[in-house]
Amino acid sequence: MKALYYEDVEIGDDIGPQERVVNVAQVRRFLSVRGGTPGASRFTDDEYAKNEGLAGAIVPGAMNITILSQLLTGWAETVRLKKVDVVFRGMVPHDKPLTLSGIITDKDVVDGEPRLECDVFMQNDEGTRLVIGNAIVALPMRIDGS
Amino acid sequence: MTTDEGISYDRSFLGKDYSIGKFEISRRMIIDFSEATGEVNPIYVNEERAAASEYGSIIAPPTFCNLFINGGEKPDIKLDFGDIGFFAGQAIESVAPIRPGDTIEATTHLKDVYAKTGRSGKMVFAVWETRFVNQRGDTVALVDESFVRRNSRRSQH
Repeated sequence: MKALYYEDVEIGDDIGPQERVVNVAQVRRFLSVRGGTPGASRFTDDEYAKNEGLAGAIVPGAMNITILSQLLTGWAETVRLKKVDVVFRGMVPHDKPLTLSGIITDKDVVDGEPRLECDVFMQNDEGTRLVIGNAIVALPMRIDGS
Repeated sequence: MTTDEGISYDRSFLGKDYSIGKFEISRRMIIDFSEATGEVNPIYVNEERAAASEYGSIIAPPTFCNLFINGGEKPDIKLDFGDIGFFAGQAIESVAPIRPGDTIEATTHLKDVYAKTGRSGKMVFAVWETRFVNQRGDTVALVDESFVRRNSRRSQH
């Protein structure tokens, strides 16, 4: 993974896109990290989800914010995600292509720390934005000014 | 329009702390979380590379504390509005690293309840803030969760 520095990026630069597909095995593993086996729910079982009026099983919100965050943590080894703030606008289905993308909206040195502000999106293959948000990341400077 | 007028709920919950629990963080848990979600940054998944970083070992990814939050476990604030509810949004602030071997304690409180009116009519949001503190008393993460309630289209006709 490459290193990225504050001087390498400018406001308006795109981040990504990155393609992802989330399947039921990944959701089950995510729900199992604290131990135990997840039971049937809207997150793991199509029939259960349909009985709740959904089109099929969906990805948990807690997993969606994590996956969208990985657009930034996976951008470069030197990126440090400080804050991410998202709105869940639509259900995220299993086994469908998802596109993660972002754009740098601001860059500044705050309390001596070089930071970027970014808008981030997760959208489906029809271009509908399912999760939108913004984030603050810290990056090192190529030449440490401190 | 945003307002809290006319919303019926138990206001005694505002600002009152509730313990979610104390959690021991293992290296296995961090690796499992990272692998399950597809994390690739070496500071979360690669011992050797993480050892060479400013952290000296792997740390938990920034949204890791989400594992310990479950919206269904929040106290019932007796919000009397709407017939459907959903998870509307979340903000996670990573304040300090969470490391293998840490014990983190989570405490939550009702931060705000407010109404907004949009195209689909009135919606009422309840915002919970959860603070995660490690065994040294340092805050490691702050998480705001927004839950919304509104009337379904069926009930509006």
